[in-house]
Amino acid sequence: MQTNFEHFALGSMLGKPDMPPKDNGSLRFGAPWQRQAFGMALGLSKQGVFEWDDFRSEMIASIVAWEAVHETSDPSWDYYEIWLTVLERMVQRSGIIGHPNDASF
Amino acid sequence: MQRFEYPTDRETANAARARALESLLIEKGVITSETVDKIMSIFATEMGPFNGAKLVARAWVDPAFKMLLAENTMAAVEKMNFVTKGAGAEGEHMRAAINTPEVHNLIICTLCSCYPWPVLGLPPYWYKDPSFRARAAREPRKVLSEFGLDIDPGKEIKTWDSSAQIRWFVVPERPAGTDGFTEEQLAALVTPESMMGVSMVKPPAR
Repeated sequence: MQTNFEHFALGSMLGKPDMPPKDNGSLRFGAPWQRQAFGMALGLSKQGVFEWDDFRSEMIASIVAWEAVHETSDPSWDYYEIWLTVLERMVQRSGIIGHPNDASF
Repeated sequence: MQRFEYPTDRETANAARARALESLLIEKGVITSETVDKIMSIFATEMGPFNGAKLVARAWVDPAFKMLLAENTMAAVEKMNFVTKGAGAEGEHMRAAINTPEVHNLIICTLCSCYPWPVLGLPPYWYKDPSFRARAAREPRKVLSEFGLDIDPGKEIKTWDSSAQIRWFVVPERPAGTDGFTEEQLAALVTPESMMGVSMVKPPAR
């Protein structure tokens, strides 16, 4: 089956706990920074900075950890805030931007 | 007071974090300022239910186009000037199943979850659910009624099983009360669910 990375990446999340919010067949972003964070993660993984599967494992683990200490209906839930935190972590771990304690990060 | 300010601060903080990360990655030469837009344009403009909706609306106003869509779907898609023209990933061999007063069509994919992304966008979560796939093939009428869609007993239901070779989508029936609508107005009524065959296109709200 022919596929490209963007399809693969999103397709792998369908029906899983880390599926991003959707609206009528399209991705739903509540603010430009959410789209920015989403696009960066796909772009970095596409370039091989980290494996998509590893990013997703971190996402799922973070969501599970959040749910362990919050009610499901807690209004402070923010999917893309978790996404951004995981993205920062994956970037740090990859070493491409230098040491995590580097002043620039 | 604190409670009301919190979300705004949080939004501002998140926006600043995302901006800082992107700037840093650009500075280090890992990505460029266009990386995000390039990736996202694939989702925002090149593939999505808006493409399918345009095909459906055109078919509603142009009987010759409708016939072409049924007989040579890819040739019809080519005429639409979509960015992807339906070619490439998972859209290469799309076929349209046209709803009529006698036949209702439903698309499924029993083997995996093949889906015509370029015209329908992201599949809903249940499309991948094995029990939906199995049951829709076996008892489509019952499954549709669980979706809130009761098909007239006199109407035939055809299920179309997508595969790596052929991705099906449904051209729903034009709703009543849309005489004189432009293609654009019509396209706005078409939902991804209606192009999967699990709902009808609803008449415009009055």
